Formats: sequence, structure tokens, C-alpha cells
Amino acid sequence: MTKIRFTLYCSTVILVLTTLSFQLFRLQIAERQDLEEIAHGNSLRNIRVLPSRGLIYDRYGTLMVHNVPTYTIALAPKYFDRTRIPLLAKHLDVPDSVVTRRLQEAQEYNPYRLYPSFPNVSFEQYSRILEDAHRLPGVGWDIKEKRYYPTNAQASHALGYIGEINRKELNSINLESDSSLYRQGDFLGRTGIERGYEPWLRGIPGVARRWVNVYGLEIMSYAQGQSDQHPRGNYDLHLTMDHRIQELAESLFVNKRGAVVALDPSDGGIIALLSKPDYPLGPLSEGMQSEDWQALANHEEQPLYNRATMNLMPPGSTWKPFMAILGLSERLLGESRSDATIFCNGYHPFGEGRFFRCLDAHGHQNVVEAIQNSCNTFFFELARRMNLGVFQEYANRFGFGLESPTDLLEQTAGFIPDSTYFKRTQGRLRTGSLMNLGVGQGDMGVTPLQLARYAAALANGGTLHTPHLVSHLSDPETGEWIQLPDSRASIDLELDTAYVNLVRKGMRLVMEAGTGRGSQIPGIPTAGKTGTAQAPGGMTDHSVFIMFAPYDNPQIALAVQCENTGGGSLCAAPIASLLAELYLKGEIVPSSYKELRMRRALSATSQSLLQETQ
Amino acid sequence: MRKWYNNLDFYSLFIWIALCACGMVAIYSSTHGEAQEFLLNTVQNSFQRQFLWLGISACALIVILSIPMQLLVRLVPWVYLATIGFLILALIIGREVGGARSWIYFGPISFQSSELAKIGVLLVAAFVLASRMKNNSVKHAGLIVAGVLGLPTLLIILQNDLGTALVFAGLLPILLLCGGVPLRIVGLLIIFPVAGYLAALNWQAALGFTAAVGIIAWFGTRSRMWMAVGVFASGITIGTATFALQHVLQPHQVARIESFANPEADEYRANVGFHLVQSKAALGSGGWIGAGFRQGTQTQGRYIPEQSTDFVFSVIGEEWGFVGSILVLLLFAALMLRLICLSRRIDHPFGYLVVAGTAGVFLIHVGVNIGMVLGLLPVIGIPLPFLSYGGSALLTNTTLLGLALACYMRRAEFSLYV
Repeated sequence: MTKIRFTLYCSTVILVLTTLSFQLFRLQIAERQDLEEIAHGNSLRNIRVLPSRGLIYDRYGTLMVHNVPTYTIALAPKYFDRTRIPLLAKHLDVPDSVVTRRLQEAQEYNPYRLYPSFPNVSFEQYSRILEDAHRLPGVGWDIKEKRYYPTNAQASHALGYIGEINRKELNSINLESDSSLYRQGDFLGRTGIERGYEPWLRGIPGVARRWVNVYGLEIMSYAQGQSDQHPRGNYDLHLTMDHRIQELAESLFVNKRGAVVALDPSDGGIIALLSKPDYPLGPLSEGMQSEDWQALANHEEQPLYNRATMNLMPPGSTWKPFMAILGLSERLLGESRSDATIFCNGYHPFGEGRFFRCLDAHGHQNVVEAIQNSCNTFFFELARRMNLGVFQEYANRFGFGLESPTDLLEQTAGFIPDSTYFKRTQGRLRTGSLMNLGVGQGDMGVTPLQLARYAAALANGGTLHTPHLVSHLSDPETGEWIQLPDSRASIDLELDTAYVNLVRKGMRLVMEAGTGRGSQIPGIPTAGKTGTAQAPGGMTDHSVFIMFAPYDNPQIALAVQCENTGGGSLCAAPIASLLAELYLKGEIVPSSYKELRMRRALSATSQSLLQETQ
Repeated sequence: MRKWYNNLDFYSLFIWIALCACGMVAIYSSTHGEAQEFLLNTVQNSFQRQFLWLGISACALIVILSIPMQLLVRLVPWVYLATIGFLILALIIGREVGGARSWIYFGPISFQSSELAKIGVLLVAAFVLASRMKNNSVKHAGLIVAGVLGLPTLLIILQNDLGTALVFAGLLPILLLCGGVPLRIVGLLIIFPVAGYLAALNWQAALGFTAAVGIIAWFGTRSRMWMAVGVFASGITIGTATFALQHVLQPHQVARIESFANPEADEYRANVGFHLVQSKAALGSGGWIGAGFRQGTQTQGRYIPEQSTDFVFSVIGEEWGFVGSILVLLLFAALMLRLICLSRRIDHPFGYLVVAGTAGVFLIHVGVNIGMVLGLLPVIGIPLPFLSYGGSALLTNTTLLGLALACYMRRAEFSLYV
């Protein structure tokens, strides 16, 4: 080889390799940032990690709501190897045609993205696919959580259900806060405390940065996970509810419409909150079929309606202790008050005895006797003597006619009439209308929650607490307790203790020698008042009952409403008695007396709404 | 007594080992990374199979080094005939892999006939050219060598393996340069591919090149005729290429050719430009020192198609960075320059041409393959010697290196027997 040819040859080699080196420098050093961006765009995914939704415990730490995993198999048709259809079908226990069809659906959605083609597969199916993942390109998976309700207590209206977020909610939430908080497909609380405590239960989603391969499957974590943000801010809820009481209440309410609210008189904690008919939460929280939902929403007995906080009916005779307090405080019985009597001849003379009847001719009745015997004449007379404005003021003080401060979202204020109302409806305030209010009938409406709150106030001597379901939160990892920031004011009604004690004494006598006689708790002195609320349209009356126990140191106060089942002592009273006994003793002592109350509670049935319409 | 291996060039042998080691590391990384479980079984075994082929290649190397030169020279025509035979056989009974019908299956063993053809073609081209050089009649050697190269090239084009055909076409000017054929003819041969390449890239560069050809031809030959020939050759190539791109070729072929300059363009990115976008992204994310062994995200995520075969350089670029890539380029440069230097010490033209030609084969492979991975050339499927996964290519390239080393080691035997 001549020198010139040797030089030419070697120069060519050097020229080619130098050109390559320059291009290499350009790509790896000069344009590195741009190219790295493309590479990261390919392969770095920010994956949102949802915190596990907070668990819900009852008063004694029994788990009432927790999460169980659900497995979803997703398909990315572009990367899926169609010769693997039989393998995937075998793992999923479905015919090949189903896989083909789901692939087609996914293809229409987006061939390059994983589409949740097989939701809710079993753990076994999921594990089989995971083991064979290398033979199934384009197949992804997702583990989500669903709500699970391990106790027998449904507590549908108290706990509430969760549901998938819709487009409208998503838009409104993302307008006011960080858009990573909720995404399409996320669930949020729809009713009850699931909704009321949504921010605490849900927490704030974290971010995990992961390298993914060309099939979109995760292969390793970015920077050993150091830049990942852990999900946080999710808390477990601890309720004041006692799941055993709730469960018993639900089981006693067969064939009945109505509501129970049981409160802790010392702080307003809700021990049980029942509205019947109710519904199972599980199917709703998983996302119900549209026709099932329609059937539930349009049912004539309105299972979705929270009777415990929204149902309005006159309080009936359970109103009489309130009237007694009002009468004593406003000196309607004259100066001697406590032992002043009103004579009962079996009817109130107003209206010549035709309209304002009493149950019996009770003779001379003082306050205690009037409550014990539920003497209508006594309370008609008190009402006749009162001023409507004062009546309304007292009712409002006891929480009637106003929405209660509470962590229960849905409630109605109830209705306490004023003179404007009577002028509008009747032209003027008639004495008869006023007298009807004295025995808790006529143009007024109270909710079971208000009744229970009022019973609790009588139990504790005159303090109105804020009814609440959640006692505190706890951090699921550290177990640290967190008190809720909201104010739970307790209002001192500033009642004269002597008057309250008279009323309490009357209520105790109701249980020992009055209409509540058949609903006592063996060994525990109690106080209560039955009521019968007149139902409109010729239907059977509603059974109403308020109660607290033990008499000297009340630990539970209850209000029970049974719709269209008859008088207060027939249905509502035995139910309240059984619930209180279970709560106080931890069991219902087996006896013939237990059997009697059980039989009365269970045998009462609400008159069908359908019969009425036929 | 001098040992038989005293004349063996251990320097080249060391580079061979180093390059094979780089290839094995890259293949291991792309098949045994954290994402191994996502790979097909056949791909997962790549490393083991390549290791087996490396053993076979090493054996072939030892066998070739032990063949006496006399016998080796006698074998040349038979090797050529066998090559042509295999190429025809592949056309008849071969199987199609990746669009090229060049694979022959013998039970469990399969090899790529077009890959092995490189050995026979180089040997016979060197043989023919050498005989002309001895007679000092190289004037028309160009045509004869072109004929010897032409037949297998035609068969390989029929197999639809354009990449390998391109290697043979590129080998012609290199052999002619070494064979003492007038430089103006060698230059003329180089004009065609360069002008065609520039025509596809941009027309200003192509016109500039034509002007440069005219000036160089004038100062090189002082002949108006050769200047005219040079300018004409360049012009006609540019004209033909431009016309072909606009009127003759199918849109997908045009896209394939044009996309390399701008693979990120929206119309190319998802299809013909995909290889290059991914390859460049992988290299770019490597930076100075790379992501590290089995840590390249693009490699582990299998974003680059053919990443253990034709695009193996992108794996090295991503995981070992600029430093590692330059090291590989330096190893190749050292091997080629070493072979060119060795060739000058061989007095016999056949031995000299085999060694110089082997350097040329490597040069074409390295230039085209890495040029493609770096986005300088369109995607042409030829492997990177010693690094790409593929048994036939490893065996072929090792055999070529073995022949070159044998020619150098036994350079004293030529004068006795030939």
C-alpha cells in the first residue's frame, strides 16, 4: 500500500469515528436535557396513591366499617398478544369470546392505555395472572379497596354510603382545591358520616414515581422512592354508637316504620340512631345498578329517608313534661306552683266537654300526678293559660323548631307554630288550637332526634348537649387521638332544679305506676313518658316514647317513634326499655318479663301505606 | 524453536475480547434487568445463547489460526462457491426473519446465509484483486472485483436483505483503494452514495458537494473530462434520488428515508421515526457516565426496538454514558487502525488485501450501525460487530478477524507456496 493510500484509508476510519463521536457528544451532552425529557416522558409515571379510607369503630372499639381489597384486570389492546386470549380466558374462568369482546371495548376506549376490563376478579384469578405476567404483555392490574361492614348492625342512615364521584362534583371540587384530590373513578361519601367526615376519612393522596416499561407496567421505583409523597391525612373515626344497641334496635323494628335515637345524656353522644325501613350499605357503596337504585329511591316507604332526623310528627303526650316545666317556670299554676292542682272531670270544660276529653276523670291533679296519669285536662288548662310567644320561646330553648347543631347532615328543623301561622291558617288564634298544643297534638312537628335531645336534657337536669356520632379521630399509623375542631356547645337551659325534679318524679311514676308500667327495666329505676301522636287520614296513631335510665344517674336517654302502630305503651315503650337494659346491663336478663316486652315490640306492625291508598 | 503463536497479534485479540465483553454486558443488561419477568422466554435466553455462540466463534478462531496458509488459499474458490450455493439455497428453502429470506435451518441450528457470505466474498475478492496486482494489471480490476461482488450482492438483494447488500457495495471502493486502482475511480465510486445521502438530507448540501467534487477532481486530475465525470456523477445521483423520492418510491419508503433527519416530527414519531426517537432518548438520558449497569430506564423498559441486536449501542450509551460509548468507539478505531497497519507488513497481495478488507468490513458495519443508532443515517438493519446479539454475525466477524490474524501470523508462508 502506498503511503497516500494508507493515509487516505486511516483518515477515512478516523473521519467516520470522529463524526460518530461528535454526534454522540451532541446527543449525550449538548442535547441531553431535551432527550432526557423524552425518555422520562416515555417511562416515568407519577402514580397517585390513594390513602386507605379511614376505618370506623363503635363506642367500644368494634370495627363497623373497614376496607377489603378488590382486584381489577386491565387490558391495553395495542400491547396485548392475541394468541394469549385462551390463556387469559383460562385464568379468568371465562370463555375466549368474553376476552375478545372486552378487548374490543378497550380498543374503542384507547388501544395504548390500560382499560379496566375485568373488575372484581377473585384473589385466585388475580394471583394466577400475576404469576403468568411475563406471558401476558399488555395486561395490567389494579388493587382497589371497597367498604365492608362486618357487624350485623346496618346503621344505614348514620354511617351512610360512598359512591363514585360524578362529573359535576369533580368540577366543583377541583375549582376550589387541588385537582389531585379527586379524579374520575374516585369514591366519596354520599350520606351520613361518610359524607360528613369525608375530608378526614379520605385524607390527601400521595404520589409514587415509577419507571414503567413500554407496556405501561411498573418496573422500578424512581430514585429509590425518595421523591415519593406518601398519602396522608386519613383518620379512623371512633363513634359514640354502640353497635349492639343499634343491632338490637334494627332487629326489633321488623315490620315497622319509625325511628330510634339513643343519646348519652352526659355529652350528647349518639348511642343508636335508627331509621326504618333501611337498606344494606354494601351494594350501594360498591356502585349499584341503576334499576336497583331506582327501586330503592322510589319505594313508597322511602327507605332512603332518614326518619330519625327528618320525620316530623306531633310529640303526643311525651310533650307533657315540657309543658309542666313551662307551666312551673311561668307560674301558670299560681304562686304555690308545685302542689297546685287542677281538677279533672274527664274533660276540659272548654267546648262543653265534647272536644277536649281526658282519658279518665282524674280529680284533683298536681303536676306530678298529671304527668303520671297523662291527664289531658291538666295540660289543656295550662296551655289555655299560656302565651303562644312564651310557648315558642320555650320550645326553641329545648331545641324544637330549630335545627340541632350536630354532625348528622340531614335534618329538618321541625315546626313550632307562632301567632302569624294561626292568623294565616285560621284567621286568628283560637283557644282550642292553643289547648291542643298543650298535649302535643295539632299543628306542630318534632323529630325523634329533637325528642331524644329533650329527654337527655330532662335526664341530666337541664343541659342541652350537641348530639354527635363521632367522639374522636385517630391516626391509623400512630394511634394518636385527635379531637375534632368543631365546637360542641352545651347549653344550660337555666331551669329551676326543683321544677325539673318534679317532672322527673312524674316520669318515674309513669314507669312505676302509669302507662309505662309494662316497660320497666328489672332492678333499674327509670323515667319515661308515652305518647300517641294522631296520624292524619284515618291511619292508625303513631306510638311515641321518651325515656331515660337509670333514674338517679342517667346514662342513656331515648326517643322512639313507631309509625301507625297505636299508642305509645304498645310498641315504642318496650323497644326503648329493651335497648336501655342491654346498654346498661350488657345483656337482657332472660325472664318472662323479657319475653313479654320482646313479644310486644316484635308483634307490633306498622299499618301498611299501600292499604291506605287502596 | 519459535512457537507457532509468536507472530500472533495479541493486541487485536485483546480488542476482540474487550468488544465481545462489552456486547455480553449489554445483552445481559437488556435481558436480565429488573424487568426480566416481563420478557418473552425466547428473549430471556438471549444471553445464554450468545455465550454459546461466543464459544463456537472462539473455536472457529483457533481452527482458522491452525490452518496452513497453502491450504487456506486453495480453499478460497470452494468457499466462494459454497457461499453462492448457500445464498441460492436460502432463497429456495430459507425462512423469512424480519422481512429477509436469508435464514437456513438445520434442525435446531439456524444461520443467516447473507452474514456468512461476507467471508467468501471478501476472500474471493481479495484473491482476484491480488492476482491482478501481481501481474501489475489493476487497470480493469475494478470491473472484475465488481463482478465477483455483484453476484452475491444480487442474491442478497433478492433475499431482501438490503443492509448486507450495502456492506458489499461499500466494500468495493475500499478494496479498490487498497488494490491500487486509480484513485479517481475510487473517488467516483464514493460520489454516488454520498451524493445520494446528501440529496435526501438537504439540497443545498448536495449542490455544495457537487461543486466540491468538481474542484477536487480538477486539482486531483487536471483533466476536464474527469471533472465533468465527477460533477455529472454527483448531479445525476442527486437528480435521480430527488426524482425517486418524489415520484417513484412509495410514501412509506420515502418516509423511512426522510425520517432519520427529523424523527421527532409528528408524522414520523409513532411509526418510522419511532426507533430513532427512542434510541436518541436512551442515549441522551445516559449523559456523561450513564445510568449504570441494569439501571437504564429506556433499556429496562424496552422502549428501543431491537435493543439487543441492531440497537445494542443505545444500551451502552444509556447505561455507560458518553464515557462508555467513546470507549467502544476507541476500541473499534484501535482494531481497524491496527489491522490496516498490520496489512502493510504483509508483502503478499492476497494476505494484505484480506487484512485491509477485514478492516473495511468492520468500518462499514461500525459506521452504518452506529450512524443509524445516533440518527445520522436511515434505519438500515446491519449489526454492530462483536456487540450485537446474533450468532451468525458473531461467527462471521470472528472468522474474518481470524483470517486476518492468520494472514498476518503466517505472512512468511506466502512466498513459499503461492
